[in-house]
Amino acid sequence: MLRIELTTQLLRIRTLIALACLTAVPALAAMATAPHAGHRNGDQGGLFGASTYSALNHTMASLQFIAPLLLPIVVALLACAIASADRDWGTLRYLYVAPVTRSRLLAGKLGAVAVTTVAATGCVLAGGLLSGLAVFGPHPFHIIDAPDLTGGDAAARILAASGYTLLCMLSIAAIAFTLGLLLPRGAEALGAAIAFVVVASILNGQSSLHTVAVVLPVHYWQNWTSLFTPAGTHHLGTGILAQIATIILTTGIAVLVLHRRDPTA
Amino acid sequence: MQTSADHTTVMIRADELSKRYGHTQAVRRLGFAVNSGQICALLGPNGAGKTSTMRMLLGLSTPDTGSAMILGRPIGLGADVLGRVGVLIDGPAFVPHLTGTGNLKLLWSATRRAWPPPALDDALDLAGLGAAIDRKVKGYSTGMKQRLMLAQALMRAPDVLILDEPANGLDPAEVRTLREHLGALARQGAAVLVSSHQLAEVQQLATHIVVMNLGRLVTAGPLPALLGDNDTYRIQVEDPQRATAVLHRMPGIATVTAHDGEVIVAAPGTPSRDLVHALVTAGIGVTSVHQASRSLEEVFLTMTEGDDEHASH
Repeated sequence: MLRIELTTQLLRIRTLIALACLTAVPALAAMATAPHAGHRNGDQGGLFGASTYSALNHTMASLQFIAPLLLPIVVALLACAIASADRDWGTLRYLYVAPVTRSRLLAGKLGAVAVTTVAATGCVLAGGLLSGLAVFGPHPFHIIDAPDLTGGDAAARILAASGYTLLCMLSIAAIAFTLGLLLPRGAEALGAAIAFVVVASILNGQSSLHTVAVVLPVHYWQNWTSLFTPAGTHHLGTGILAQIATIILTTGIAVLVLHRRDPTA
Repeated sequence: MQTSADHTTVMIRADELSKRYGHTQAVRRLGFAVNSGQICALLGPNGAGKTSTMRMLLGLSTPDTGSAMILGRPIGLGADVLGRVGVLIDGPAFVPHLTGTGNLKLLWSATRRAWPPPALDDALDLAGLGAAIDRKVKGYSTGMKQRLMLAQALMRAPDVLILDEPANGLDPAEVRTLREHLGALARQGAAVLVSSHQLAEVQQLATHIVVMNLGRLVTAGPLPALLGDNDTYRIQVEDPQRATAVLHRMPGIATVTAHDGEVIVAAPGTPSRDLVHALVTAGIGVTSVHQASRSLEEVFLTMTEGDDEHASH
């Protein structure tokens, strides 16, 4: 079922366009900042200010730029489609009479959601790395007002950042997937998932709503950036727990929905 | 699997099936069986509960009461035995951006079976899509989608076929080809259950019918028996009055009436050739003999009209 889900989703034009966009944004950003190659990117600080020093810097800056909104929207698009497309097309009933059991169908769908989320996150990283290599070159990772990271230290932090972002994207994928099963049509689920990301981001930006924001998975999505501050690593544990809790909760709801609902209802 | 009274195998069985959607009782204590070699037409007006019944037979809908069995095994969602069932239900449905072949492969490989399916060539012949089979389905006409879905149902060489309105969107030649294909499958021992509103077509295709109305079983049985009295003949003769007298004297004749140049004879158990022989021997010319059966449309309308009781009662 995993292969079937991937075949049906990854061959869609809109999926390919969405993944191409994730790859193209870092490339466009590299071209826009190319005049600053080897120097600080204007007067910006943090990862954006250091993005022009090396390919790895550009990759992490691209992730910081895309991960709060564009990446979760694409991940939600793919997860909603995997959850609801066969119902929208009417092919779900023919899968059941093929016959495919509910458990196999769910396992295939969840596997496909994981693979497409990895693919989407990988597109950002690959786009950033390739365009960074072409424009800024393979220099050591630079942190403003701190010594360059050694190769091993940079690789460890980049892997940690990428893994953490992937986990965050899996949480929004799980939310979108569950909405895709709950709501009658995929378009409605996608709208709800995007609305969730936008509203949660707005709530997260309001200091007066801190008590609300801390229960939202979105609140922790950018915690990985502290891995690249002069202070060094930062505790990501709370963010990891929040994402895992979100994934378990929403996937549990998805399992209940799929197992209890009459497929012709 | 069970064996019926005529020693054929019961392939599809519905026992006391009931299903309610909200306030509407879609199906009420429905029971019938389809044996191997039979082509059974599930008939009823719109809203009679035909599609709900088929959904329950396929495990797509859980009955409130009763049970459904196919090939002797209970049916549930995704039951293994469905791998031996060809299905067309609620119209055709495909992944629009895949080709016809891609869609067939997708549904076949969903059950981890190696491509190609055993009856693919015959199924593709029936579909008659030619080069269009390798085009994306989103460009297909309604008829092409219907034929591709029928190919999907038939390519697995099923022991049981459950087809909801299979002739929708097909032209007369395609309907005829489908009828011949289903007939051949039934002769090989398959059981076919079809729902249709095309009663003239059903009359040519079906060996048995199940008539539903307002979710309930109206009647079920062999089609010839339900189409009326097979022992009644309309005989055109030269002299109806003398013919009536001759036929009255024959043993086994129930009634004889003369009417407008012909006699109508109810003769249970008496072959028509004996009637003709008696008339000709008496010197009465016989122009034609017809069995006085009714059309399926007449039978269907008689059975389903006038029942104005609401389904939810």
